[in-house]
Amino acid sequence: MKVEDVVCTFCGCLCDDLVVEVEGETVIGVENGCTLAQEKFMGDHRLGHPIQRKGKDWAPVSYDEAIETAAEVLLEADRPLLYGWSGTLGEAQSVGVHLAELLGAVIDNTSTVCHGPSIMAIQEVGHPGCTLGQVKNRADLLIYWGCNPIDAHPRHMSRYTTFADGFFLKDAFRDRKVIVVDIRETESSNIADEFIRIEPGGDYEVLSALRAIVRGKGSLIPASVAGVSREQLIRMAELCKAARFGAMFFGLGLTMSPGKQKNIRNAIELTEELNRHTKFTISPMRGHWNVYGSNEVFTWISGYPYAVDFARGIAFYNPGETTAVDILRRGECDACLVVASDPGAHFPRDCCAHLASIPTIQIDPHVNATTHLSHLQIPVAVTGIDAEGTAYRMDGVPIRTRSLFPSRYPTDTGILEKIYAIVAREKES
Amino acid sequence: MKFLLNTGRTIRQGSFVERKNSPAYRNEASSCRMNPIDMMELGIEEGATIRATAPAGSVVMRALPESGLRKGEIFVCLGPFANHLVSTETHGTGMPDFKTTRVEIEPTDERIAEIWELMESCGGSRYEG
Repeated sequence: MKVEDVVCTFCGCLCDDLVVEVEGETVIGVENGCTLAQEKFMGDHRLGHPIQRKGKDWAPVSYDEAIETAAEVLLEADRPLLYGWSGTLGEAQSVGVHLAELLGAVIDNTSTVCHGPSIMAIQEVGHPGCTLGQVKNRADLLIYWGCNPIDAHPRHMSRYTTFADGFFLKDAFRDRKVIVVDIRETESSNIADEFIRIEPGGDYEVLSALRAIVRGKGSLIPASVAGVSREQLIRMAELCKAARFGAMFFGLGLTMSPGKQKNIRNAIELTEELNRHTKFTISPMRGHWNVYGSNEVFTWISGYPYAVDFARGIAFYNPGETTAVDILRRGECDACLVVASDPGAHFPRDCCAHLASIPTIQIDPHVNATTHLSHLQIPVAVTGIDAEGTAYRMDGVPIRTRSLFPSRYPTDTGILEKIYAIVAREKES
Repeated sequence: MKFLLNTGRTIRQGSFVERKNSPAYRNEASSCRMNPIDMMELGIEEGATIRATAPAGSVVMRALPESGLRKGEIFVCLGPFANHLVSTETHGTGMPDFKTTRVEIEPTDERIAEIWELMESCGGSRYEG
């Protein structure tokens, strides 16, 4: 059976035009998907049942036992951390935030090691963004800054920018100019009309120089700024001003480099400056398929997009203090529930050492690096393959993901609701 | 020799991200891409093992040439190998320095660890399934 208009739950592009061929409970073919989508849908490497570690040995346990154990661990903890959330559906994220409130826990999502600094900058100066549809139909100038979409968001260019014809751009490949700013050559920089190669850590300076040039102060710029010649900076600024509609996309090259949220603030203020001359927008290249959703859901319920601490009985947010890496670095949490992410692979080693030293419970379909640090893992259905729910694309557009066949696994939402019910019952009694 | 470590997504890392116990994921996550002239100065060939050491930790990887990198820069895809070198310091932002960690690199004959071995070195316990 072929299922059309399937949503890919890998990256923040949330491509919704896949055609997936299914036989029973097996995906046997994927059309329109990129390499990442092919691997996601065709791969079948799931953990078959819940597992629990006793000493150094692992043993299978039932779902009921696993849920009881998870609830007990969270109830016994003084400072539980609920981390992850970007690889699951909005409905599960919602239960997670309510569970954190009930427990007085800290809840953080993967933005914390991704676009958290972008959110901090947006909270300072706002977000002149737009949907990807606007970019596709209008943008004649694209800037990719500190990102490599060909590797990380393989269809971004073919669906929305460089290779996608739009309503006002009938021959996109010729009509659109592409500027790539990065510290290294990538597949993406190789197809750029202009590649601006900066020295590591030089983003803030280059952004400031561009703002000065756009303001008409180009004569004040030195001959070279962070490895970029004044001539090239002036050429880039002129390309931006001459565009009818410019769209800047930025990645972790800005959020993880020195300056962090201040780099993003500077990029947003450059965008604001360019809007004195033409229309210009800026948007983060969100990584996980529903990381934007985790920010949305956390904000509806708590008022804050990530790193929310309920220990005071009210929501408290202070990146650098209530963020997962900082809490683990200080050895502060005494239990951790990991949902739909892999801090074992993606957090610094010392954070992993703390996760291994406390009862860590993971809800995830696959064996990953965190599995080896955990005491309990509960496998669940994969949203977009055998579970459906709401996700938010990188531009904030909500999209309903589909289930391709009935699952033999419970959903994240189902597991979390059961844990919540036990915790609520115990708290009441 | 001293280098500046940059980390990020590669399409191969993304492809194997749901198979973290697989040799394919380990191979990609432990690939340290370097400028070919730096490799020549270190006296190593493509695929040679190197030990990278930072204040936060030390790990063995294999060197691969990549001419798109400047001298003095290395690139390792995001994952447990790179994160054995990255410090937990976030400078009050919540975000570690994933793109600007200074590391020392030397040739070695040591073997590259499996993912579970890296996690066991953090205090974890291998699950073989």
